[in-house]
Amino acid sequence: MLEIRDLTVRYGGILALDKISITVPKEETVILVGANGAGKSSLINAIIGMVPTAGGSMTFEGVDLAKVAPSMRAGHGIGYSPEGRRVFPTMTVRDNVLAGASRIGRAAQADVYDKLATLFPMLRDKSDDLAGYLSGGQQQMVAIARAMSASPKLLLLDEPFLGLAPVWIQQISDAIRQFSKSGVTVLMTEQMAVPALKVATRGYVMRGGAILREGPVAELRSAALAEEYL
Amino acid sequence: MQTKTSLLSRIGAAELIALAVMVSALALPFFVSNAATVSLLTQIMIGVMGALSVYIMLRMDLMIFAVPAFMAIGGYTAAILSVRHDVTDVFLLVAASFGIPFLVAIPLGFLVLRMRGVYFVLVTFVLAEIMPLLLFETPRLTGGSNGIAGLPAVVAFGRPIEDSTSILFMCTALALLATAITVALTRVFRPQFESIRENELLGQSLGLLAWKYKIYGFCVSAGIAGLAGFALVEMLMTAHPSSFSALSSVNYVAYTIVGGQASILGPLVGAALLVWASNLFSLQGEVSQGLFGILLIVAVIFAKGGIVGVVEKLRPKPKASRLTAS
Ligand SMILES: Nc1ncnc2c1ncn2[C@@H]1O[C@H](COP(=O)(O)OP(=O)(O)O)[C@@H](O)[C@H]1O
Ligand SMILES: [Mg+2]
Repeated sequence: MLEIRDLTVRYGGILALDKISITVPKEETVILVGANGAGKSSLINAIIGMVPTAGGSMTFEGVDLAKVAPSMRAGHGIGYSPEGRRVFPTMTVRDNVLAGASRIGRAAQADVYDKLATLFPMLRDKSDDLAGYLSGGQQQMVAIARAMSASPKLLLLDEPFLGLAPVWIQQISDAIRQFSKSGVTVLMTEQMAVPALKVATRGYVMRGGAILREGPVAELRSAALAEEYL
Repeated sequence: MQTKTSLLSRIGAAELIALAVMVSALALPFFVSNAATVSLLTQIMIGVMGALSVYIMLRMDLMIFAVPAFMAIGGYTAAILSVRHDVTDVFLLVAASFGIPFLVAIPLGFLVLRMRGVYFVLVTFVLAEIMPLLLFETPRLTGGSNGIAGLPAVVAFGRPIEDSTSILFMCTALALLATAITVALTRVFRPQFESIRENELLGQSLGLLAWKYKIYGFCVSAGIAGLAGFALVEMLMTAHPSSFSALSSVNYVAYTIVGGQASILGPLVGAALLVWASNLFSLQGEVSQGLFGILLIVAVIFAKGGIVGVVEKLRPKPKASRLTAS
């Protein structure tokens, strides 16, 4: 579904991604594991179009992403939940979630919201609360729901577990599995390998802007437990 | 669970107060007879419309200094229609003085809304600078430096609006219309405008067609400025370039920011207070703009929320909690 070949990203003199190649097959959940500064966000942001690429190619469902303007990528079926959640703090939970669904009619938006609220009940209880007042876990749910509100085919999650207590990680993992069951392909990043590997099917280990190792999660999990790279 | 909400139920308290104030203001012409007060109130209504035009753009974190340029387009449209083409029906003139600046703003918006931050602000000021030059250089259309004088009375429901009290009533009705349009626009597109203000880049990566909503806002802002221009030429019975000087843009920005940009009450309060103050101290032209400029800077540095923001802060809050954006 998503094919990345020799992708390079630079920030001025800093080489953040050095000719990275990854494949995200349809309906799988792929995890990028790596320490801070490994280049995970750079990769996610290049896919969504928030950072320019300095080389290589990205193909999504046969379409060259270089030819798709950043503001049109969501319309092509790519949903995005940024690192640090980045909810709009002065907007209500409902407006936050529907900010991702600005292209559909009001009735369809209400349906989408109801559907997401069955997965994240807090959307129902706190729909009129300002997102800035929520806890980190709740904000993460809002950010994921916002990414899902346009019904994407590919969901990009940049460190969805960052700084969260195990109960929240559990709930968010369940939601990701639900999305996956309903046919959504997921590409997520994480520093902590263990909880993330439980939801994923395939994984890549990144360090210093390069891929260190890749394979099915079972292999990576044993490596992670051995703390080979963390 | 209620997830489907009507426009009416989403209107906030500040918007309801603003609409109520403007509706009540319609009664003013029946109570006020003093000529100086009528003139002051008329100027306030025009100031309110100019300030609302700025307020709409500030919803998207865009500061504009082009209000006088769109006021000129609206005002001259009305003047040309009534003097040269005998159009005096108030509804036609209102539609034209809103519609023409609205339409002009579409191509203009595509050009200038690409610019960000201080570049956008500068370009809007340049537009305000260019407008009087254009008016001077096109005497066949606009009367050049003579302007267009001797506007015939506007006719509403078969009755001419001639005396200054009737003109005040018309300007108040226009300001009410501008308030209602602003409330409707900023409510219907509130999530979009807010995501543009908070983080346009993120909004775009969530699929928000930011340029589309910026164009909508820009066009409506231009249309409301056009209504202000129409009111101004009717008050003066003349369309003249000097009514639309680029520097006068500072006034409208000052009304909104000193009044408070966070709520629609800000432009209303700001226009009323600053127009009243400048009449009280009989400040004119560049002196008032200079003082307003200083007031603007003071507000930006010391009271970001403006007058309305300061009043809000003084009011006791039920519960104090922190807003966190992580
Ligand atoms: N906006 C930026 N400007 C300059 N350097 C950056 C920027 N963003 C990231 N980097 C650098 O790029 C490298 C990869 O960062 P990032 O993609 O954020 O890694 P990760 O998400 O894995 O923590 C790091 O060395 C980081 O310092
Ligand atoms: Mg990161």
